Amino acid sequence: MLAQEKSVETAQAYSIRSAAVIKPFRKSLGFLLKLLMLLMFIFPFLWMISTALQTLEETLTFPPTWIPSVPQWINFVQAMSAGPFATYAKNSIIITLSIIILQSAVMIPAAYAFAKYKFKGNALMFGMVLLAFMIPGQVTFIPVYLMLADAGLIKSLLPQIIPFMSNAFGIFLLRQYFMQIPHELIEAARLDNASELGIMRSIMIPMSMPALATIALFSFVSHWNDYFWPLVMTDSASVRPLTMGIAMLRETEGISNWHIIMAGNVVLVVPILIVYMFASKQIVKAFVHSGIK
Amino acid sequence: MNKRFPAVLLAAAMTTGLLAGCSDNKTEQASSNPSGAPQGKVTVQFWHSLGGKNGDYINEMIKRFNETHDKIEVVGTFQGSYDETVTKLQQAVAAKTGPDITMLERAYVQMFADAEVLEDMTPYMKKSQLNVDDFPQGLMGHSTFNKKLVSLPFNRSTPILHVNKTMLDEKGLAIPKTWDDLKKVANALVIKENGEFKRYGFSMPYDTWYPIAMISQAKGKFYNDAGTSIGFTNGEGVKTFKFLKELQNTGALYYPPAQDSGNIVNQMFTSGKIGMMYQSTGVIGSLKDNVKFDYVTAYLPMDQVYATPTGGANLALMSASANKDAAWEFINWAMTDPKGGLQFILDSGYLPFTKKMVESPQMKALWEKEPNRKVAYDQLQYAVDTNKHVAWPQDMQEFFKAIQAIMYDNKDIESTLDTFKKETERLLKK
Repeated sequence: MLAQEKSVETAQAYSIRSAAVIKPFRKSLGFLLKLLMLLMFIFPFLWMISTALQTLEETLTFPPTWIPSVPQWINFVQAMSAGPFATYAKNSIIITLSIIILQSAVMIPAAYAFAKYKFKGNALMFGMVLLAFMIPGQVTFIPVYLMLADAGLIKSLLPQIIPFMSNAFGIFLLRQYFMQIPHELIEAARLDNASELGIMRSIMIPMSMPALATIALFSFVSHWNDYFWPLVMTDSASVRPLTMGIAMLRETEGISNWHIIMAGNVVLVVPILIVYMFASKQIVKAFVHSGIK
Repeated sequence: MNKRFPAVLLAAAMTTGLLAGCSDNKTEQASSNPSGAPQGKVTVQFWHSLGGKNGDYINEMIKRFNETHDKIEVVGTFQGSYDETVTKLQQAVAAKTGPDITMLERAYVQMFADAEVLEDMTPYMKKSQLNVDDFPQGLMGHSTFNKKLVSLPFNRSTPILHVNKTMLDEKGLAIPKTWDDLKKVANALVIKENGEFKRYGFSMPYDTWYPIAMISQAKGKFYNDAGTSIGFTNGEGVKTFKFLKELQNTGALYYPPAQDSGNIVNQMFTSGKIGMMYQSTGVIGSLKDNVKFDYVTAYLPMDQVYATPTGGANLALMSASANKDAAWEFINWAMTDPKGGLQFILDSGYLPFTKKMVESPQMKALWEKEPNRKVAYDQLQYAVDTNKHVAWPQDMQEFFKAIQAIMYDNKDIESTLDTFKKETERLLKK
């Protein structure tokens, strides 16, 4: 008996001890893996910042220079004075904000209708939305350009905004999200005489903030960074966004001034980081809210 | 905050519309061509592909023109890389939103000439007493098509041999003049430690330019004279790639990865990881300021003959332009005025493109100071472009495939070039 008890005790002690060994080990392994991932993701950013502060000579050495001997802040001045950067920045901001606002205005009612209304052709129309989501811009740019040139819009910012007014991916994602919201909530609101717009405003939007924030973030990043569409849609500097300005820093032939280009890229990326920090907070907050439903 | 959302949305949408409208008006005033403008100024749209420092130099040139011409306003606009400019030009021609003057990478000129969207400049040249003989012959290979002179050289370059003379001197080696010299010198520069190459002999960017140069040095032609097939069927192509492969295997040649290859070889050259490189004349200016060794340039080594293809871009006058006379005045000024093309060439380091420029005291003074640039110009006497065909931009992709197969995947040279020949014949037939 006694011996048996003892053996049980030792077994317990052993398992406790092994847990005590394994747990920190697991923890630190997890930590190390996370650190590794973090480094992998952060490395290009650090590389960009480092290059942005080097001299041309330092960017040309091999093996590469990791830390510039004297940080060259002048690179930023040079990058910004290479063209009408204030105009580019203004255009970038107007274009991306307009797109996000217009997309929300189209996307929310569309997703609401697809998710909560029963009407003939719902599935077919949703299928067409998905189809739009699968056609890449490279297929449509020539007809779109010809259409907009015919309308005389090439000298305005509209060719960079109008084609993106609806966001098929956003409608898709939001519809899936709306479908999870219990129908009873909407019924209850209708009993209280809430208008459809009111339902969207006070039920659908607040309950789907994580999805909305995600879509807005994706949309912001993709349009802020877009190079192809502005390149084919614009013919003059006055309507061009930042990405075009930065592409202009590259040499067509010969040695490119990577330090200047990277300084331009830092300027391009900073707003994305700010928006991301804001959006990620929103996403977390929204997740906490949705937990209470 | 949630309740306010639609109001904010509406307000923002309205503001956006307003702003978009604003910028619309502004650009209309700033850049479009007000045909009935009160001040009687004609606006000439000029599309180019020059970014970075060269972009600054061309903008300065345009500014100098505008300051001295009160009837004409030239608006220069960067339209992306050479390839991107071509895409933009294609869609703009279709939409009738094209420029008056465009810069065209020389190999694309024929494509647009065939589409008959480029103006024959012969009558304009006659009026301005400009002659084809005023230009170095080596740079005129992409100017006349179907008996029409549709483009004039502007920012032109060639490949050239860049040499770290300090490194060669350490080993008591002379600058190679022939392929055999190149093989000996490049092999002598190799440093191998523990089965790893610490230093290679020479390198070249991943590009069609250099194999084409070597094929013509072996006395081959890229396309035959009839323009129906390749023109290096007598073993010139096989010889070129065998030579490169042999050098690659001993470490005498470092063939860089495709992505960003130009930057990689530049970095290796400035850091002394290679002693020589085939590279565009366009890098001379930057290298001169950034290397810590005795840096010289030389002709590309010869096999049977000296030969070099040319690169860079020409200027063309668009047929659809409504302001051809004003546009021509700008082109003519760029070709002949010392403040025009000559100053741009002195600034940028591209090759002088008229005989007058070559003879100008400014150019002579620059060459005195930088003999490396003179070598580049002198090499032009051996310039020959044999890859001229409307289908070249397409066929170029096939040639790239062949280069990849041979240089990266060690595929059999003869059979790879046979496949390339078949593909070429298919493309040229179209």
